[in-house]
Order: sequence, then C-alpha cells, then structure tokens
Amino acid sequence: VLVDLRLSKNAAERSKDGALAATSAVVRALADGSVDASSVRVECDWIQYRNNFREPIALRQVLGRRRRGTEVAIDLRQLEKLDADAALSSLLASDPVGVVHLEPWLPLSESCIWRFNALYWSELALWEEVSGKGYEQALPGGASGGTDTDANRDLILGLFKVWDGLAQRRSLPEQLTVLELGVGNGNQARTWLERFVRIDHEMGTDYYRRLHYLMGDYSKHVLDLARANVSEFLDRTSTLALDAARPSDTLRFLEKKVFFVYISNVYDNLPTDEIVCLDDELYRVEVRAFLPASRVASLASRLGSKADISDLVAKLLKFGPTLLAETSEPFSDPVDAGRFWQEVWSGLRLEERYVPLGALDLYRVCEGVSAELIDPCVDGFGDVRFHMSNGAAASFVDTLPLLHPLGSLVCHDLFVTDLDQYRVGFRGPGKYEGSVVNWVNGPVLAAIASRFGYHATFDAMEHGSNRRIVTMTARSRD
Amino acid sequence: VTDAPVGASPPKRVPGAMPTTVVGSYSVPSWLERLKTDFHRDRISGARLDEVHDVVIKAAVKDQEQVGIDIISDGELRRDNEVDYILERLGGVELLAPKTYYYDYYEAVVRSPLPEPGEGEGLGLVEQFRFVDGLSDRPITVSLAGPFSLSRRLINEAYRSESDLVMALAHTLHAEAEALAAAGATYLQIDEPFLAGYPEAVDLAVRAVNAVTDGVDVHWAVHVCYGNHYARPAWEGHYDFLFPAVLDARIDELKLEFARKGYDDLELFSRNASDLQIGVGVIDVKNQQVETEAVIEARLTQAVKLLGAERLAVNPDCGLRNLPGVVARAKLAAMTRATAAVRAEVWGAPLEDGRPGEADRGR
Repeated sequence: VLVDLRLSKNAAERSKDGALAATSAVVRALADGSVDASSVRVECDWIQYRNNFREPIALRQVLGRRRRGTEVAIDLRQLEKLDADAALSSLLASDPVGVVHLEPWLPLSESCIWRFNALYWSELALWEEVSGKGYEQALPGGASGGTDTDANRDLILGLFKVWDGLAQRRSLPEQLTVLELGVGNGNQARTWLERFVRIDHEMGTDYYRRLHYLMGDYSKHVLDLARANVSEFLDRTSTLALDAARPSDTLRFLEKKVFFVYISNVYDNLPTDEIVCLDDELYRVEVRAFLPASRVASLASRLGSKADISDLVAKLLKFGPTLLAETSEPFSDPVDAGRFWQEVWSGLRLEERYVPLGALDLYRVCEGVSAELIDPCVDGFGDVRFHMSNGAAASFVDTLPLLHPLGSLVCHDLFVTDLDQYRVGFRGPGKYEGSVVNWVNGPVLAAIASRFGYHATFDAMEHGSNRRIVTMTARSRD
Repeated sequence: VTDAPVGASPPKRVPGAMPTTVVGSYSVPSWLERLKTDFHRDRISGARLDEVHDVVIKAAVKDQEQVGIDIISDGELRRDNEVDYILERLGGVELLAPKTYYYDYYEAVVRSPLPEPGEGEGLGLVEQFRFVDGLSDRPITVSLAGPFSLSRRLINEAYRSESDLVMALAHTLHAEAEALAAAGATYLQIDEPFLAGYPEAVDLAVRAVNAVTDGVDVHWAVHVCYGNHYARPAWEGHYDFLFPAVLDARIDELKLEFARKGYDDLELFSRNASDLQIGVGVIDVKNQQVETEAVIEARLTQAVKLLGAERLAVNPDCGLRNLPGVVARAKLAAMTRATAAVRAEVWGAPLEDGRPGEADRGR
C-alpha cells in the first residue's frame, strides 16, 4: 500500500490533525484485508458549506478505463463530530440499510436537487411562510447588494461616454436598454437608478428619458418585491420573469441592443456538473439523491408507516406543495406539505461515483460549447475536482448575444478565479434555505468569453462585507 | 502548403453578370480549431497543420463549387484570422505573447521600419494562391487584410505617425499583390473591417488602398463591414462615412454588409455617381438561421431596382468563419439559387441544368 499524503496549505492550517486522523482511520479500517487497499484512494475535503449534500464519510466508486477502485471521501468539517474508526468500519462492512433513493445515477447537473432549487424559487412565498424567514436572511451576510459605489459611478460614466460617441455617429438608439438578471430586493436597481439620474442631471445629457431598465428574475415573488423598491422609477423600469439559464428565450428582441447587463448571485444557483481529473483521465461525477435511514424513519413516524416517501417526493417536485396537499392524504394543507418539503430538503444527500467523461467533443458544457474548450485549462494540471458551471455557462453564452457591440456585462458572484483554488478547498454544492449554492468556475467562463470575442476579468468586489464575492466584467476583446 | 497540385491550373470559367462570390473565410470545423490551438501549444508542428490545411481547403473548394459559387476562395483556412496571418509574417513586427487559443488575437508592436518590398520572404500568399488555383476551374479571389485595419492591431514604435505606418503597410501589401498578379491571380480583395470604427480615417484608408492597388491589373475589391469578430459586429453606423473619399479609390468593387443591418444604405450608392460594382451582402453571417431563397431574392431585387443588375455582385455580408459548416453550405446554396432566380427574372434567360451562373455567361 502506498500512502501518498498531500496536504494542501489550507488543510495544513485548518485541519491537519483531522486529515491525518482520518487517513490513519482509513488505513486501520483497510488493515483487515477485506478490501483491496491498493485500489483505495482517500480524499479529504474542507467543504465550503457546512450544510451540504454529503455524509461525513462516503465511498465513491471510480469506474475508469484505466483505474477502477474506491475513493473514501471525508468531509473534515463534519468529521469532528464523529468516531471515524466506527463510521469507516461500518461503511466498509456493508451497504447502508433503510435509505430511500430518489433518482437513478445521473450527472450532477441533472439531479433532482435542481428541481428542488427551482421549486424553492417558484414557491418562495410558501417556503418563507413555513420557515418564518425571508430568503434574504438566508443569504450569507443577510442582504443582496444595493450599495451605491464608485464602481456604479464609473460604469454609468462609461455608458455615457459610449452613448455620446454613438450620438456623434447618429447611431444612438432611441431606447437605451440596461438589463439586471437576479434582482434581489431591488436595492441594486434603486441605487443604480438614483445615481444614473443624478449624473444625467449634472451632465445635462437627458439619457434618463431614453433609458429602459429591465429587471429579470426566475421568481415572480422576488420581482414583485423588487418592483416595489423602484417605485420612483416605474416609468423607466420593467420586470420580466425569465429563466436565467436561457435569457434569450425571453429577450431575443433585445439582441445586440443591451448596453449594460448586471447579474448578481445568479450563476451560483444554476445547475452544474462536477469533473474530476485523476491520473490524467477526466471523470464526470454522477450522483444519486437519497434520504438517509434516520430521516426516512422520522418522516415515516410523522406521515404514517404506509407513506411512500419516494412517491411523495416525486409528487412534490412534479406538482408543488399546494397540489401535493390537495392530492395526498398525509397532508392537511399546503403549509403541512411545505414542512414535509423542508424536512426532505434538510435530509437530502447525494451518493457519488466517477464515470469517464469520454470524448471531449461529445460533452457539452452548454449549447455551442464542448469540453474541448476547457481542455487547455486542465491539461497537465494534475488531480483536481472542479465545477463545470454548466448553468452559468449557458446563461452567460445566452446573454452575450444581447449585448450591444459596445456593451458590457458585470456579474457579482462566488467565482473561483484560478483552478488552483480547487486544490485547497471544495466549494459546493451547499444548501441554503431550499436552494443550492456552488462556487462558479471563473476560468471556464473566461475561456468561453474568449471564444465568443469577449475579455473577462475578475476582481474582488469593491464594497460590502462579503469578501468572497468577486466581480466578473466581460467586454468586447478588440 | 505541403501538397502541390498535379499539373497546370485548369482553364477558368468566366463569371457572368451578377456573379456570386464569397468574402473570404469559410467555416472552421471545431476539430480544426482544436488542431490550430494544439499548434499554438506546441502539440503539433506547423508542417502537420499545413497537411491538415491542404485537405480542408480541398473540401472548402468542393463545397463552394457544389453550391455554385462563381468566384471562390481557399476559405482562408490557413489563417487564424486575416490580421494575425499577416502580422506573423511582417518583418519588424514583434508578437508580444504567444496565443493560448488559436482564435486569440496577437498583441503586436512594430519597433523598426518594415523591410522594403523584396527584402523579406513575402507573406506566403502566392504559394497559397497557386495551391487553390490548381484545384478548381473557377476563378479564385484572394483577400488581404487592409493596411488601415492592420495598423489598428499594431503598437507603433517605428514611425512618426499612424499614417506613415499605414502607408508602409500598404507598400508591403502592394508588393504581395504584384506577386499574386504575376502568379495569375485575377481577383484580389482588400479587407478593412476596422474602418467602420474609425470613419474619420477614411481618407487615409483610401490613400493606402490606392497604394496597394497601384498598377496591379486585376479586379480589385474592397470589403468594408462592421466587424465580424466571433460572429458579432464591432461597430455600428452607416456607410455614408465612405463618401466622398471612396470615389477616389482605384478599385473595381465594394463588397459590403447589408443583410444584418438592412438595405437603407444602398441608396447612398445609387445617389453618389460612381461606376463601382457593389458586392451586395445578402447573407447574415452573424446569425445561424439560414435565409430562405425568397428573402434573398427580395434583397437582391431591391438592390437591382436601385443600382441595376449590371452593377451588382452577390456575396455574404462577410466571411463564414464563425458559422457551422452545414449552415455555411446551406446559406451559400440559398444565395446561389436566389441569385439564379433573380438573373432569370432580369434577363429572362432559362437556367441551364439548373446551374446558377450559367444562364447569363458571356453577357
């Protein structure tokens, strides 16, 4: 048995003892010879999100062409509460009993966790009623954007400069469109518009009269809240419910017309695959959602032993909590069904395995982009696991055609800006209230931007307490 | 070029009135993109990539012949893009960093004056022309990035002024054009995709164009569009900036972008007295939706009414580089069929074997 221990700097600082203890526990557990130890790989992660979809210790099958074996995945953050030896012995000895699987093996991006995520945004009002918390309280930092900044001023002045130039060439459109995707509570729109009006007045440019500020979001509930926050500007604003992963489906009429797109905390909430590079072979992570035996037991005791948990979850995802309550016996009303939803969500786990990614040209990052594009990013990079950020890529690729040739896109999100960051911490998926959160693979988006003629840059956000937020700016390259 | 054609170039067909042609580039398959990127990452050699280019150019020529294009190109498939192709080969130009992806653009600086024509190895276009010329009985059009557009991609540390740099580039291109003409090229084209972004420079650009074309006896076209970087425009505006400077250009044809922007600017060319042939863009190369023949016919008919059929050539808005092959072929096929229908409408001649361009041969 070769023990090749690679402690990242991050692990050394945060959890060296935990990593060493976990590795020792694995070696001890394997010592009885029941498992071929030479085919076992141990991966200790410090997962960014305390609430996530993993058990503290899990086994993953590696189904590669050259490598077949098992990976013992350990979440060091959760491990502190556990007796690692006992947990490992039990895990290696037998398959778990009493769990309920909710789906077959699927790529992560197709898992039911994203249907839960979509349900959360479409039934947000009910979720909030059941939990007693507004969705903003569930966000890290408890708020979403909306600070008037020098960055806002610079962006607006930049727009004015572009418009002045177009006016000189008689090419300034009558309507000057700005698009915000993911509107939060509307604070960003309000502060931006206030600053816009102030600058427009100071400069005497009269651009506000031609401005159209379009607010797009998946959730009508969120849009209604945001709309109330921009009441002073309703003559120049519109709201549109749209799928953030396919904005052009709704906004095609704005192709090449939008001068500025602002996106905040949308990409981290869109479906993604995870890719693993092991010994120069690329794997896709497949998952199978399940409820652990303990959660199944607690649900059964509340709903009655005859309740088919898997069937109820399927109906919840298909019909939503209100219809579920009307059609399924165990629930007295939508709030009761909402409680079931929240209990299922809280217990939801993902089993994982690695399957070969296959030919790069056949794997779609998103429409029009194959994995060939990212090959130069990971080629020779060594063992690493990273997000493909498929939903973010799809949204980005579908938003770029809306940009005017001189337009720009600014996005605030949880961007990984260097693949090396994946070596020192794993960044999702995590659970927020009812929704999924992932860090977004900046280098993948930068490569896509480059392919489509844009230059994407990443900077730490210039304001606010949340230093994890990074600003991506995409502009025409030439 | 690694694979010299066997035997002499075939005798060329003579294009009839309202000829169909291309602006230059042809669809680049994703696997070729990957190979080109592999070249920049030192995964394959230039020689291996040249072999691949030879093969794909043969395919591109065949595609153009099959859909009935009258004047064809090599698809510019050897070029990463038309600007970088020349920058890489210009003496005195230093490329500041290698590319990660083939579709990146070089940052380049000119630190010393360009070599006098004849001093360097040339741009390699003659050999490439000979290769494609031997493949087809159709006339070949060869495009050169224009001096003004080239200058916009160069940091100038060698010349006192931008206009000096532009004119120096023009002299280099002129030498290449002379060599191409001597090799038998009959259709040459200067591409100025940056000009629409700098309308105030049109006088300089025209002066430079005249320096390139000076004394080179071929059919000269100049292509001006609003940019086609990565299938999107780089500029907005109107073609009125071309006037009156363009009336002094010693060229035969202007190839222009209309399909994406609309045909309002066509009137400029009917209003301004000029005998320039107008290559009407009838295919939007920034949109993958294939135009119907009816749409293209309507576009052409409008142009015929304004300018007269004898003054027209028919082409896509710009190069087809960013379109998938299947879309590029379908668009070109729709263009040639629609052109044939309009020719028949104008001249009342029946189509021979349904082959566009045959009906009016020799008129």
